Amino acid sequence: MSGLAFENVTVRFGSTAAVDDVTLTVPDGEVLGLVGESGSGKSTLARAAVGLVPVQGGRIVLDGEPIDVRHGRRPLQMVFQDPYSSLDPRMTIGASIAEILPRHLKRAARADEVARLLELVHLDPARAEAYPLQLSGGQRQRVAIARALAGRPEVLIADEITSALDVSIQGSILNLVRELQAELGLSMLFISHNLAVVRYVASRVAVMHRGRIVEEGPALDVLADPQDPYTRELLAAIPGRIPTSTDNQRSTP
Amino acid sequence: MTTTAALPAKGVPRAGDHRWLRFTARRAGRLVVSLWVLATAAFLMIHLIPGDPVRAALGPTASAELVAARRESLGLNDPLIVQYLNYLGGVLTGDFGVSIQSGLPVAETIAQRLPATASLAVLAFVFAVIVAIPVGVAVAVATRRGRGRKLELGFAGTSVFISAIPDFLLGVALVAVFGVSLGWLPIAGRSGPESYILPVIALSLGPAAVLARIVRVEMLTVLEADFVRTARAKRLPAWRIYLSHALPNAVTATLTLAGLLLSALVVGTVLVENVFAWPGLGSTIVSSIQLKDFPMAQATVLVYGAGVLIINTIVDAALAVLDPRTTVAED
Amino acid sequence: MRSLRRILRTPLGIAAISLLALVLLTAIFAPILWGAQADAVDTDNILAGPSLEHPIGTDGLGRDLLLRTVVATRLSVVLALVATLVAVTAGLILGVAPFLLGRAGKVFTWLVGIAVAFPALLLALFFAVIFGTGWVGATWAIGLAGAPTFARLCQTLVAGIAERDFVSAARIGGVGRFRVLFRHVLPNIGEPLIVNATIGAGGALLSFAGLSFLGLGVQPPEYDWGRLMMDGLSGVYLNPLAALAPGVAVVIAGLAFNLTGEAAARSLGIGSVGVMSKLAALQPRRVAEASPPAPDEVLAVRDLHVTFPGGAGPITPVRGVDFTLRRGEVVGIVGESGSGKSLTALAIAQLIEEPGRVDAETLRFLGTDLRDGDHRRLLGTSLAMVFQDPMTSFNPAKRMGGQLAEVATQHHGMTRRQARARAVDRLAAVRIPDAEQRARQYPHEFSGGMRQRAMIGMGLMGSPKLIIADEPTTAVDVTVQRQVLSLLQAIRDQDEVAILFISHDVSVIAELCDRVLVMYAGRIVEDLPVAQLDQAQHPYTRALLAAVPDMQTDLDAPLATVPGRPVDPAHVPPGCAFAARCPLADAHCRVEDPQLVTSAPGARVACWHAGEPLPDPIAAPARDIEGTTQTGPTTRTSPTTRTSGVQVVV
Repeated sequence: MSGLAFENVTVRFGSTAAVDDVTLTVPDGEVLGLVGESGSGKSTLARAAVGLVPVQGGRIVLDGEPIDVRHGRRPLQMVFQDPYSSLDPRMTIGASIAEILPRHLKRAARADEVARLLELVHLDPARAEAYPLQLSGGQRQRVAIARALAGRPEVLIADEITSALDVSIQGSILNLVRELQAELGLSMLFISHNLAVVRYVASRVAVMHRGRIVEEGPALDVLADPQDPYTRELLAAIPGRIPTSTDNQRSTP
Repeated sequence: MTTTAALPAKGVPRAGDHRWLRFTARRAGRLVVSLWVLATAAFLMIHLIPGDPVRAALGPTASAELVAARRESLGLNDPLIVQYLNYLGGVLTGDFGVSIQSGLPVAETIAQRLPATASLAVLAFVFAVIVAIPVGVAVAVATRRGRGRKLELGFAGTSVFISAIPDFLLGVALVAVFGVSLGWLPIAGRSGPESYILPVIALSLGPAAVLARIVRVEMLTVLEADFVRTARAKRLPAWRIYLSHALPNAVTATLTLAGLLLSALVVGTVLVENVFAWPGLGSTIVSSIQLKDFPMAQATVLVYGAGVLIINTIVDAALAVLDPRTTVAED
Repeated sequence: MRSLRRILRTPLGIAAISLLALVLLTAIFAPILWGAQADAVDTDNILAGPSLEHPIGTDGLGRDLLLRTVVATRLSVVLALVATLVAVTAGLILGVAPFLLGRAGKVFTWLVGIAVAFPALLLALFFAVIFGTGWVGATWAIGLAGAPTFARLCQTLVAGIAERDFVSAARIGGVGRFRVLFRHVLPNIGEPLIVNATIGAGGALLSFAGLSFLGLGVQPPEYDWGRLMMDGLSGVYLNPLAALAPGVAVVIAGLAFNLTGEAAARSLGIGSVGVMSKLAALQPRRVAEASPPAPDEVLAVRDLHVTFPGGAGPITPVRGVDFTLRRGEVVGIVGESGSGKSLTALAIAQLIEEPGRVDAETLRFLGTDLRDGDHRRLLGTSLAMVFQDPMTSFNPAKRMGGQLAEVATQHHGMTRRQARARAVDRLAAVRIPDAEQRARQYPHEFSGGMRQRAMIGMGLMGSPKLIIADEPTTAVDVTVQRQVLSLLQAIRDQDEVAILFISHDVSVIAELCDRVLVMYAGRIVEDLPVAQLDQAQHPYTRALLAAVPDMQTDLDAPLATVPGRPVDPAHVPPGCAFAARCPLADAHCRVEDPQLVTSAPGARVACWHAGEPLPDPIAAPARDIEGTTQTGPTTRTSPTTRTSGVQVVV
């Protein structure tokens, strides 16, 4: 697996710079959490990495080389936020996954690979013929993860993948992410607005504000002792934690 | 996650502010460009016709000298670019050339016949709007959330049926009933106010039915909007919610479609004028196509097209006045 | 075809398809059966009026007009269909060009944008000049005249699909543009396109009739309806029927196409026929007041139910909610999708509209029974609502100051000037800078956080005793959320206002509230002080707390998960609704629904196994733990369940 690096990347929409001279590295085999509020540019940065938006300045490299698209193979794959928009409603989930598999595989090999990927995300392989309509939000996200893995990516980008899910389901997706990362040694760029979630999955954290990276470092350091005022503001804004029996926050009415 | 940046409080916009100037300039620019595209298309229209247009107009029996002379007088032997520039220059100065058939200047004929068409179109539009909006609003309020199913069905059925009748058929029917059988109203030519009644009804009834349906749908959509729920939470009286909060937003949405309807109505005069022997541009354009009088056809297409574009610009301006978001969205 | 069967289920669909079938059959068979007869010249019978032999009369050559009208069906319909084909093909090519060509395709968008402003008839006349009269020229003219509309439709549809994530995923996956077009885009725009093409065929039919009526379309010896109308018009004084009959045929055929298209469009959506009768069968429940109000009681709710009509019987997303609020108390309601928390709030605020229904044993606000009557004044002055989406909750066409001032002019009898002044004062009170100038701005000029604060300010125009906030911070950033929460706290401290705060986020509730009500599947399952959340007794509450990561979560352990999915209000199982997902559930739980009982001073819980220790959470599940026990997708934010065309927001 390899390291993804953004070098002085700038992305403009009209006159505004959504991403402003960003330098960032996702170390090989690690998870980098990218935190920011709306308008921070974190999603734009991700889309630039996978080629969905053009880059006006700087470059994005993988292992030191510009990202190479040979024979339709893309070393970066992405999982999106909205489980209801990320799967074609007219294709079975098996077909959606198979579409991303390398071209040279024959039919039998494809079916096997699809089954393997479904198992990997803890879905029953027999459901490969199901349509997205028949699945829940959490299950669709698993399919989306399986599809991203089908492309044999070197780096996986997860853009707010749990924000649209019910709280009781989020946990299982996050567990899955940690498990896959440990098993496959994936390099991952994990984007979220939720600091607690990022703390749970990432080893390094970068904080983005108005298109710029304001702080970056090991997750525990950044979150325990932030240096940048904006990071401090973000941490202070996290709603209070659930009290434990040793606390005495409010008197009982 | 949707936090939008706030626009500055200083410089609160009023009419005459920079934003309005920019919008007006932009819209005017768009109109000019569209008019230019229209004029170019009208120019190309003649030159795309297979064969020799002058020969087609004068017929196979006309002598070769006459055809050649006419070609020369129409400037058809000059290079295309020269013809194009002459044409544009002519349009800008109001010179649309000379009719192949009559030999008279086209601009004269158009100026003579335009008022008849324009008056008919404007009256029909006003009538359609006056009928459609109150009906649409009333039916919307009465059929909200599953109430008044019979009314909804009746309304839908009637409006679908009416809008399925083409305006010229309606005109013929009106002629047959009111003109021939009952003899109450004049059915041919443009004389006094009574002569307007049947053509206006024929022209406007279909669009009125469509407009009423659109107003109803938009009104129902707006009534489900979050801000209407806020208005209800403020416990405002029902009439205030409908008229002061809902209707202006419904009208904004309807305005665009109303503009399209008006444009279609303007062009519909071509058919209705034919039914009522109305002395307007409608009969001019038809005869010019039949007789292959190309300068005349070109000019009338240009006039109709320009009318449509101007209507669209007026609608856009009205939208900008009513919905404060449109001027910002374009920045 | 699946869709065809669906269309045939509605009365409109049946009528439309039958009519269309009639028209098509006539088109096919009429010329075969009566073609020769329709051309039979009879010079003795020229321009005859209606008679038994010729029900509509004859034309200038003595030919029977009824037969001619019927036989003309084929030409009229065929030409309309061919023209539609031309229009759809041209429109499709122009419409997908921007998608395929990227930047270069913008010129197509621009051209179509200009062309679409012109009515079809004008474009048809334009092309008629080029292609000449006659049915060939007219077909090209009408076909190309219809292209811009279809092109615009295709562009919009394609753009809508192209921005969906699954198209992005395919492109990232290396699928080429053409493949994406054929495998993803076209199948997803097929249905609306065909429906519009059907309606377009109706339009083409009318356009053709118009052109022929003007003499620019079909030329003799061929004849279509328009031509027949033109011939008939010249003799309208003698025989009006001659002109009207072909016109009637045009209307019938046009209706056949239009109605079929509309019926198809309708059945691709959702039908709500026959729903009202089911609601009428529900009996209203009115029970006399039971408990007298306490002195500082602000809100008392007993046995609250909210019911909506559904396709297969009534749906009850709120199934019996009891609680009380006192002055200055801040109570939170937490739950996921399907819990009924938002509907509870709306029901209390009297904002549930027909066909939904609210029933309660007690619904008392400041001592007044809300169940009967309007109470506009009371609710308008003493109750403030804050809704979830700040972007859509204000009227985009009115200035902010005016929207706030309205409350005062309506309910407090203030003059407009006084009300304006009050509005500015309230905006300042909710910490909006430059309040005077901001009041003159429109909602879209405010940021999301400002709008939420303005919403609170609007509620403070009077002196509210209760603020009901329905997920007010879900749609805003966390820093803005902090501002809103601290503002609410300040209001509570200053004026002893009670707050009912709805959220899916337990940590927000823990931050702000004194007490929390946990809702699941339309019921309150636990009611306890926030300070004692760690001593929660209901398995769902504990699972919810354990499943949410916070800044102290143990990084070495997997997050606790709750297997299964939240309950769909339309399919509530018997017994305890949480049983399917509960590690402590037994047979008793699946049969009998537990009631809320006091478990500790100031706390209630509804569980047969309240307080029992939970088994260890499963570390690495072997298979999908969500199961297939419930149907229907669920999301968290602002979820809506579509039930028979009635939107149910829970």
